[in-house]
Amino acid sequence: MRSGNINIVKNRFVFVIPGLILFTLFALIPIFSVFVMGFTSWDLLHPIKFVGLRNFKNMLHDKWFWNSILVSFKFMGISVPLIFVLSLALALALYKEDRFSRIFRAFFYWPYMIPAVVGGTMWKWLLSYDTGLLNYILLKLGLEPISWLEESTNALISVSIAQVWILAGFMMMIFITGLQNIPSEYQEAAFVDGATKWQVFWYVIFPLLKNTNILVLIVSIAYCFRSFTIVYIMTTGGPGYATTVAPLYIYQRAFTEYRIGYASALSAVVLIIALVIALIVLRVRKSD
Amino acid sequence: MLRKTFIIILVIIFMLPVFWSVISSFKSISEIYNYPPTVFPSKISFEGYLRVFKDYNFMTYLNNTLFVAVIATVITVLVCIMTGYGLAKGSFPGKQLLTNAMLTTLFITAQIMMVPLFIVIKKLELVNSLWGLIIPAVYTPTGTFTAIQYMKDIPDELMESAKIDGANEWQIFWKIIMPLSKPLVAALAIFSFTWRWNDFILPLIVINDSKLYTIQLALSSLQGQYSIPWNAIMAFSTLAIVPTLVIFLLFQKLFMRGLMAGGLKY
Repeated sequence: MRSGNINIVKNRFVFVIPGLILFTLFALIPIFSVFVMGFTSWDLLHPIKFVGLRNFKNMLHDKWFWNSILVSFKFMGISVPLIFVLSLALALALYKEDRFSRIFRAFFYWPYMIPAVVGGTMWKWLLSYDTGLLNYILLKLGLEPISWLEESTNALISVSIAQVWILAGFMMMIFITGLQNIPSEYQEAAFVDGATKWQVFWYVIFPLLKNTNILVLIVSIAYCFRSFTIVYIMTTGGPGYATTVAPLYIYQRAFTEYRIGYASALSAVVLIIALVIALIVLRVRKSD
Repeated sequence: MLRKTFIIILVIIFMLPVFWSVISSFKSISEIYNYPPTVFPSKISFEGYLRVFKDYNFMTYLNNTLFVAVIATVITVLVCIMTGYGLAKGSFPGKQLLTNAMLTTLFITAQIMMVPLFIVIKKLELVNSLWGLIIPAVYTPTGTFTAIQYMKDIPDELMESAKIDGANEWQIFWKIIMPLSKPLVAALAIFSFTWRWNDFILPLIVINDSKLYTIQLALSSLQGQYSIPWNAIMAFSTLAIVPTLVIFLLFQKLFMRGLMAGGLKY
């Protein structure tokens, strides 16, 4: 051991200080304040007042809050499977490193880069009843126009499709990395044994992608559960509460009704649900 | 053949929203509300674009957004690199705990934390200030982790020899670490700029004064007003994606690999 070595491993805490301060202010304190503020009432004007369990009692009877959780799960229930199947199909078609693949991957990835406000605006315009391209195409085909955003079920499907549009290309890239890591000998051996393309995919490739599959599911669920902007722009949660996902419901309580304490209590519940989802998915991953 | 047909049909479907909006941005006010609509404009009109600049203060929003994005990017890069360096190359009590705590926050995002984040921003009196869009955004778990991973790969010997030459800690950071971190700086800067440009949640909860609106917030708020012609909104949308499109085309590989995926070499 050299004599100078002990001096080389330095404390260097001072470099972490700015990051630590910001982390404390904008990550740690907000997480803890969710749980503290949930026991208070605050409308931004009057002093903060502790109200015990009142917010949590009110929450139990807040039909539209539980509805918003349900809407969030429906939204995930439509988007996540579609994202999974579509991104896997895209990845299978585009994972080889040729010119065609490299050019077309970018088209599918690009929506992920488009600001969600713009993406939502563009979808809203595409799906507009009178002036949208989609209803125009239906009209040309001799079909009836559809109320894409004005009817409850349609609206939920429409925002879910927009979410698929945002995320599919991003997930495609995760699948492509996974596919490229599978040694091609596996497929070749299966083909030599006389397997069809479909059999090779189902019995060889898909099982080998297990970790990638789980990663794509985790990331999609996490993204879809916190989806806010696309819904806010496309439907503002409507018609009625049909597309009011949980983050949007909380936003409205906090910033249109100024019930900050109550909204904090709701945030606490959503935060716990988010953590439980993360834990379940991680547990599934471990047990496999 | 089947594969190419499948991909091309899907590309057309994927590009429909963008196509329809860009096409619509070049229609005149009388044509945009035609029923049934026309697909291509009968005459290319810049009416929408003119109104965006003349009536809807696009330049103000652009200035605000650039101010926020540029300053936030500079601070984010510096803080991420310092934190990454301290956590990767330092040794102080609680280092592992801090690293793990920061990793946990990867799952907890602004959409879920809107209300408590607003409380902190309000207490710091950053509401209705562009700084309220900058300072809360500087700490990013993704950026910090990329920096930690990158710093771990820098060999200790390089710092060791500088030490023997009599450099102090600060000099080592600026003269050895920073020059070796150019690819990291570039990646963090590109990502940070894009995040801030695209951000909607912070502007939505922090800004009330329409003079301080960012482009995304202005685009959202325009749609809430009556009598705003949609060719102008479509022109606004088209302009709002140009910068990120340029950045995406220039740094496509970097984006598609993902910041967290790493692969940055010093």
